Amino acid sequence: MTAADLSAMLPPLRPRLWAFALRISGDQHDAEDLVQRACVRALERAHQLQPGTAPLSWMFSIVQSTWINELRARSVRGRSGMDWDDDFLETVADPAARTPEQNVMDGQIVKAVQRLPEAQRVVMLLVGVEGLSYKEAAEALGVPIGTIMSRLSRARQAIGALFSDLKEERVNSAAISKDQGA
Amino acid sequence: MKMDDILLMAYVDGELTPHEREEVEKAIRTSADVAERVALLEASVLPYRRAFQQQALPPVPESLTRKIAELAHAYAYATPAAASPVGGNHRAAAPESQPDPLAGPSLPVRSRLRTAAPWLAVAFVAGAFCCGVVLRFAPGAAQGGFAQSAAQVAAQNNTHDGAQGGASPWVMAAVSYQRLYTRDTVALDSSNMAAAAHVVDNIRHDDGLPIRVPDLRSAGLTFKRIQRLRYNNKPLVQIVYLPEKGLPVALCVMKDEKADSALAQQQVDSMDVVTWRRAKLSYALIATPGDTDLGALGKRISESNVEELIGQLSKAERAFAS
Repeated sequence: MTAADLSAMLPPLRPRLWAFALRISGDQHDAEDLVQRACVRALERAHQLQPGTAPLSWMFSIVQSTWINELRARSVRGRSGMDWDDDFLETVADPAARTPEQNVMDGQIVKAVQRLPEAQRVVMLLVGVEGLSYKEAAEALGVPIGTIMSRLSRARQAIGALFSDLKEERVNSAAISKDQGA
Repeated sequence: MKMDDILLMAYVDGELTPHEREEVEKAIRTSADVAERVALLEASVLPYRRAFQQQALPPVPESLTRKIAELAHAYAYATPAAASPVGGNHRAAAPESQPDPLAGPSLPVRSRLRTAAPWLAVAFVAGAFCCGVVLRFAPGAAQGGFAQSAAQVAAQNNTHDGAQGGASPWVMAAVSYQRLYTRDTVALDSSNMAAAAHVVDNIRHDDGLPIRVPDLRSAGLTFKRIQRLRYNNKPLVQIVYLPEKGLPVALCVMKDEKADSALAQQQVDSMDVVTWRRAKLSYALIATPGDTDLGALGKRISESNVEELIGQLSKAERAFAS
């Protein structure tokens, strides 16, 4: 692919790159910088994009590696990896179409994913949220497909544990309120 | 059968053959650990995509939309031939592994970066060769073509290149391009002087621009790259330096038949720019405000009060090679 071909694709990809950068960095300024730098890098080496690779997966991989480099630079500079902005963990309640339980659950799902360890979180975002296949995610992250699957399995077990606990809490609190009501 | 996590996940997701399913179900009955892990994986089947669609993300900032549009516009004219290395292939064959000053302690990060760092380094080097990028994205240059250049020439004439807010169109294009630079854009460039000398030779002979690359080390600026760009089909040379802190500084040069002009400092598109014309060459020194004393630096360069970096090295290289 030529830089000219890729340049035409970047504007339509912008919203998804922005959302992905926000979700991995948790900061608006970082995300903006990240997307911009990723676009420059991608255009500079557009010729490396193979015909079989989806431009979106490829862009995700560049955003991700740019972020990893940034985290690494920050850890060398003695700063914390990131100051998570909890605002991004909020979800918008949509009372017209959804139940309050669904809204609460959506918020819990987003929080659970965002609090996974870095490597697992990125895989969950790529596969679970962006809908990449295991193969595409492996290409995006430059790791074997088995690594993607085992990270995903560990991530899902962690989330499963959280949701089992939440379910248990709900059952218990329902039981308590029932007891109190009796 | 070893009950690994991948297999159990495939079981929960219904991706196993009947035989494999039986094996897993047998393991669930006999192993509390396997049963527990399967229960956790089952509890993890959740509407992730729906949840994230409800996430209250801020909209794409207008500044980012604009920058991507500028980038897309800038590269829309790049062709594979134009993007080929002008400086010779010896730069493309840069070292596979750059010295890595940022090696971090975190294991997962490091393992990923060991694979990422070399190709990123190569990407930066490759970036030095985007010489065919045609700078046509000056503000107002929406569609390009003759009408655009005529309008820009008119604008230029109206403002007499003055410091009253009117920069030449080529300077505006160069500023727009420079605004996209971060330290990372050039930080890993190896400042390959032999390759740079080759580019300088090409510029002097092929483009007919008798340029000199000033040595600005005394001002804390390290030479990083020299690129041949084009603006309205005319050669535009960009020489990039990296200060100790802050964003890269560029010295851009184009041929210009007009009479010499004195130094003029102005702000273009939130960047500081110092321009002057000497010996049929038009110069623009571009930096982000506050990082460098651009006026003083421009004065030194325009008065040839600095050594020539590449010229000397170029001669030294040639002497060494012969």
